[in-house]
Amino acid sequence: MKQKITVALAGNPNAGKTTIFNALTGARQHVGNWPGVTVEKKEGTLKHKGREIHIVDLPGTYSLTAFSLEEIIARNFIVDSRPDLVINVVDASNLERNLYLSVQLLEMGCKLVIVLNMIDVARGRGIIIDETLFSNLIGVPVVTTNGKKGVGMDSLVDAIISQVEEPQSPEDFTRFTYGVEVEDELYKIQGLLYTNSFSSATVNTRWVSAKLLEGDTEIIKKIDSLDHRAKVMEQVDKSRSHLTNIFGDSPEIVLADARYGFISGAIKQTVQVERTDRVNLSESIDKVLTNRLLGPLILLAVLYSVYIFTFNGSAPLVKYFDSFFSWLGDSVSTILPEGLLKSLIVSGMIKGVGGVLGFTPLIAFMFFAIAILEDTGYMARIAFMLDRVLRGFGLHGASMLALMVAGGIAGGCAVPGIMATRTMKEPKERLVTILVAPLMNCGAKLPVYALLIGAFFPGNRAAIMFLLTLISWVMVLLAGRAIRSTVLSGPSAPFVLELPPYRVPTFQGLLIHTWERTWMYLKKAGTVILAVSIIIWVLMTFPGLSTEQKAFFEEKQDNLTSHFLNDPAVSSVLKNQQDLKSFEDSQSAEGKDTQQIATPLTLKYAQYKEDKLGLENEEQSKKLRGTVAGRVGAGLVWVFKPIGFDWKTNVALLGGFAAKEVVVSTLGTAYSMGAVEREQYPTLSEQLKHEPGWNPLMAFTLIMFVMLYAPCVVTLVVIKRETGKWRWMLFAMVYTTVLAYFVAFIVKTTGTLLGIGLT
Amino acid sequence: MSPRVFQKKCLNCVSLVDHKCLVEKTIKLSNYKPGQRGKIVQVCGDPDFRLRLMEMGFVRGTEIQVVKYAPLNDPMEFVIKGYHITLRKKQAAHILMNEPELAA
Repeated sequence: MKQKITVALAGNPNAGKTTIFNALTGARQHVGNWPGVTVEKKEGTLKHKGREIHIVDLPGTYSLTAFSLEEIIARNFIVDSRPDLVINVVDASNLERNLYLSVQLLEMGCKLVIVLNMIDVARGRGIIIDETLFSNLIGVPVVTTNGKKGVGMDSLVDAIISQVEEPQSPEDFTRFTYGVEVEDELYKIQGLLYTNSFSSATVNTRWVSAKLLEGDTEIIKKIDSLDHRAKVMEQVDKSRSHLTNIFGDSPEIVLADARYGFISGAIKQTVQVERTDRVNLSESIDKVLTNRLLGPLILLAVLYSVYIFTFNGSAPLVKYFDSFFSWLGDSVSTILPEGLLKSLIVSGMIKGVGGVLGFTPLIAFMFFAIAILEDTGYMARIAFMLDRVLRGFGLHGASMLALMVAGGIAGGCAVPGIMATRTMKEPKERLVTILVAPLMNCGAKLPVYALLIGAFFPGNRAAIMFLLTLISWVMVLLAGRAIRSTVLSGPSAPFVLELPPYRVPTFQGLLIHTWERTWMYLKKAGTVILAVSIIIWVLMTFPGLSTEQKAFFEEKQDNLTSHFLNDPAVSSVLKNQQDLKSFEDSQSAEGKDTQQIATPLTLKYAQYKEDKLGLENEEQSKKLRGTVAGRVGAGLVWVFKPIGFDWKTNVALLGGFAAKEVVVSTLGTAYSMGAVEREQYPTLSEQLKHEPGWNPLMAFTLIMFVMLYAPCVVTLVVIKRETGKWRWMLFAMVYTTVLAYFVAFIVKTTGTLLGIGLT
Repeated sequence: MSPRVFQKKCLNCVSLVDHKCLVEKTIKLSNYKPGQRGKIVQVCGDPDFRLRLMEMGFVRGTEIQVVKYAPLNDPMEFVIKGYHITLRKKQAAHILMNEPELAA
């Protein structure tokens, strides 16, 4: 008796596989990726009478033909990892198509238990299945379940155990036949495989022969190492043309036809459909939800609510997370002494990692919303309704959701947007969506827009914001089209999309979905981000000021202090540095709220503090100029001259690479204000207005650049993770920046030529 | 109008087709109207696409009923073997059907 059993869970999409998986394993599950690919792999365990049943959830597929990544994964797992048993979850209300996969599993010769799931739905539609006869006919134990209510789980577990114990009889492999002509050819190929001692212990040779006959490239690769490969392939080619001659169609079609023939036969004998007068609820709902007029309106409302739910719903939690990290930063600040280590931990690590972890609630809310859309079946309808619009731009109906979340309404975020593309099955369309999503107006770009709009277009805030939203949509669509017709050209995957019946999702299912995806995000983004934050911190900190510069600023500082202390109004009270220190402490201890009586001393002190701050700012600016980032920024001046950016803007843009909102704070540091300017222009926005070279045109050029240039580091990391390739991450970085430069250049040149926005 | 000639060999299957790649007495699924139903005579198109559709149940003789067209008239939705599926019209044009009848 085996103590540890491995069981694979196979089934069509929408057959309720996940519900069965959840019902069997409960919370004892683990989610990861299949090696080398970004398809989710779920595993769980179940303890039963001292035995451990390890359950692997295979990707949902309609077939095992090696069409898609999912099919290859599912198939290879069965072939290579040889699970003790395969549970085939079948939608009882949609038996015929679901059984196509079952027949293929039978052909592979794996031990099988068929689960007729959603038996309640089938009965409700008047579909009556003679389970015993059905089971006898196909030679596989059959269990009926209602996964959502957990009905039938015990008998399923019993069936698993007893079927694993059962020895496999040779007739199990031949219960299903393709017909005489095909069988003859199969026999010939199989014979050749045997004489070539093809490792029949691991794979069923009958199945391999059938796959060779179908011209399955994956399997042909597998026999590459055979000594007499040429001989086998010769026979395969002969058989293929023979069958093509007889049937007038290619063998793969003939075999598929034979499988459906077998299924029709089995169904005819075992299934009765009683006519019911019951209205199909799902179809009635669909009449409204995909109605020509109402459909698109409801769709817009749904997309808008996903957006509102994700961003507004998570806002309090995001705030909570943010304040936790700023609290953490502050507490660490007070513990650690002034210096590099403190700067590294507080500004580098806590700020960087906190910036990413701060997203967590937002990501979780988005995944919850998506889980609802997916589990109810509405997601497929979104693709159905929008496909016509988006496919013209190289995208797919399902791209809509990702683009909305990424910032289709200003204020989204590219990270969850890119993660949302996980629902897309078409590799090319998904990749294009991932690559263009960062062009949307995410929430982090908004502070930059706000700063510049506030300074240069104060009268037209709403209009400009709306214009920016339109521009980003145009850019996304055009970029999608351009990428799809150049780098990612080629025919699009056939749009074969099932519209599953509407279902009420289970709360447990929604939570599990949300949790596992959020956890993946944390694991993935969290680790890399720490390293990246440290690197960026180093670039913006070192090498800093030279010793002479430091001495220069120290001297100035000393001068300022001694000048202050020598003032007659001050020297009478504060005799030396010691006194000044305790005075400063008492001043800050009193806090800003308390009304202070203006004495000559406090007035002088306020002046002194102001001057000191100005000096510190100047030092910060000099320091930034001296860092690697500052030098790069200065070095890039000649590149950015045509679009009018100076070194300060360049450094800010480099900083924005960490997160777009950093552009604002870095601009603040770079254009740090001396005391005089501070009095005149109390805010950065006021100051920019009066800087030479800044005008509305310049501001708009910068806005366009910020909208389009390289995605932030977090987004890039997610792109790498989701596409699995460094190449696409680099591409996303380069093409966006080139696009940004190009657009900014056009804006700048046109504006200058036409004389718009120069004053 | 000259009578249509069905003698060109289809590139993907054995059927004899006319200049529009139509088999005699067939009508493209994309020309069906909502509510109409009929049986599949032949699935055309490139081999991968044909096989994919076969696997989804688009086998000769199977009944298809058109449910509706998307708000922008493309893609279209139909019921086959008891489930709902959607295809773009361009793809549905590869599915050759017999004369439709109106569903009861």
